[in-house]
Amino acid sequence: MKSKIRPLLAAACATALGFGIAGAETLKVGVQAPITGSYANEGQGIDNATRLLAEQINENGGVLGRQIEVVTCDDEGTAMAAAICGKELVNEGVAMVIGSYTSTCAEAAQKTYYDAGVIQTSDGTADGLTEKGYWTFLRNSFPNSAEAIFAADYMINEKGYEKIVVISDFSSYATGLAESTIDELEKIGGNVVSYKKIKADSQNFTPVLTSIRAMNPDAIFFAGYYTDGGQLRAQQVQLGIDADFIGGDANDNPDFVKLAGSAAEGAFIINVPTPQMLPYDVAEEFLADYEAEFGKLPPSIWTLMNADGMRAIVYAMEQTGSFDTKEAVDYLHAMTEPMPGITGPLQFASDGNRIGSSYMTFEILEDGSYDVVYAQ
Amino acid sequence: MDTFFQQLANGLTIGSIYALVALGYTMVYGVLKLINFAHGALVAASAFIGLTIYATIMGESSSLLAVIAIFALVAAATACLGILLERFAYRPLRQAPRLSAVVSALGASLILQNGIMLVWGPQMRIFPQLVPQVYWNIGGVVISLLQVIILLLSVLLMAALYFFIEKTRMGAAIRASAIDQDAARLMGINVNRVITLIFVIGSSLGAIGGLFIGLYYRGITFEMGWQYGLYAFIAAIIGGIGNIPGAMLGGLLLGLFTAFISGYISSTWADAFTFLLLILILIVRPTGLLGERVAQKV
Repeated sequence: MKSKIRPLLAAACATALGFGIAGAETLKVGVQAPITGSYANEGQGIDNATRLLAEQINENGGVLGRQIEVVTCDDEGTAMAAAICGKELVNEGVAMVIGSYTSTCAEAAQKTYYDAGVIQTSDGTADGLTEKGYWTFLRNSFPNSAEAIFAADYMINEKGYEKIVVISDFSSYATGLAESTIDELEKIGGNVVSYKKIKADSQNFTPVLTSIRAMNPDAIFFAGYYTDGGQLRAQQVQLGIDADFIGGDANDNPDFVKLAGSAAEGAFIINVPTPQMLPYDVAEEFLADYEAEFGKLPPSIWTLMNADGMRAIVYAMEQTGSFDTKEAVDYLHAMTEPMPGITGPLQFASDGNRIGSSYMTFEILEDGSYDVVYAQ
Repeated sequence: MDTFFQQLANGLTIGSIYALVALGYTMVYGVLKLINFAHGALVAASAFIGLTIYATIMGESSSLLAVIAIFALVAAATACLGILLERFAYRPLRQAPRLSAVVSALGASLILQNGIMLVWGPQMRIFPQLVPQVYWNIGGVVISLLQVIILLLSVLLMAALYFFIEKTRMGAAIRASAIDQDAARLMGINVNRVITLIFVIGSSLGAIGGLFIGLYYRGITFEMGWQYGLYAFIAAIIGGIGNIPGAMLGGLLLGLFTAFISGYISSTWADAFTFLLLILILIVRPTGLLGERVAQKV
């Protein structure tokens, strides 16, 4: 039996190698994103945007003459699958990885990319992502700590809340945002009466909300993701808890409004401007192309943040005239003038953080649209 | 005090959903001595079927008549799925060792779950708001129209099932088949028909549970069957698997227990305490709260 399998195996290996050599002429770009699972619409947005950019770049002759080949790995929004994706994409020989959507997933694969010298660009906002000293990581969004300062300022100085309850799930992003917001709130004299944690996707939040109701808070600050946020808001209103709902940036997704139903009206969400608000020409052009290609607008700003991450890396490779990932990252770190991005000027600090931020507070109106009520 | 009663109302609502789903596990186990692991996926499928029926056949109408029609159609469609499941995944293995049937059940559950993903997509789908958001505030305890509907309909269905099992000839046939299939066959009972009936009833009750999940929580995903299936399975075991009133009691108890644990201790610990409860009950009463000790024939 063995003697029959061996030549087969050898043939398979040879074929695989052959493909590998044939594919050496392309620049491989990995996408690590939740294509399935709770955050699937965000993950598919990242995948779509990467493929659209790759197509556009390829039409214009590729990167330094090489065509881009996109390899997607579904991390399902879980750390376990993300770690496997990291290995898989490195084995595929990608030069850069776009994603993932959640900080937890970005973090789970971070070391793998660092060890392999693969550039990773994620919208993950957890501060921890840039604190490890991995040169391979470029954050294409803004860190939680920046959002926390804005959120605390809004809740205390603008709204004057006296009793605030903070809720998060157990992910790196949510706990990071919740904890830094609590710190900022306390710094400026805010009163956090309770910090509760919920299990993401557990759907039944009425027990936690009922115990919150007994505290009579003025505001509930929710630092988790939109899938839980929408249900939390619906159940809050259903239980008759008369407090303002303020959702962190990951609540900015059309599904929040759909899940909350009629309860969405009056909820607040803090985030950077939505795609439609972006005043830049690049943004308008990219959104039009995206809509023409996929028949709908990107699910949220995160899609565009990741697209910007990819554009920055490609730009750096073209500027340095090399596919060396270290050189490209060094170039980005040293860039003194920002490059025009879809989501605004793109510039990176030497720790991989994106420079500059512009948060706003949106109020959700009756028809589900956003009204800007406060801006930085 | 209103916090306590609010938790009670929360717990009863989710508990009655668990109970409806748990009935499917317990009825199949009662007759076939088989844990129908595909039941959770069937419940998830019913919510998605409801979504499609609402969007296509009902033309997104949410009149009372349309809502009743959706419930009836989804129950019928899920019952058909249940019959297919029994016919193709379990009947060919009826004489096979017990383990083969369990593995077949797990396989069927994966096929169903991935089937849902292929048909309806991997992302979370939003269930329509079919019941208007009406609330009553009774001394600080807020109860919604939807909660009242869930509670009343569940109690009604469970009472009807209890009456059917205990008071009708077909119910007697089901009870007889649960005790001894061969003897039941000798008494002229068509056991195959009884088993089909079990799957029809269990699946349609599960379908109602699935619709309730969609209506109450709004967001439905293709994997949600696993979570609700697991909880309902625990409810069935707590009540005594194979025992119909036991599944009802187990579901309500489990709903109340998780509500109070998450409300008064921490939602983080709710799952841990739930499984601890399960272990304790199994140690003290291995056959569940209402289960009877049955001597195994060797």
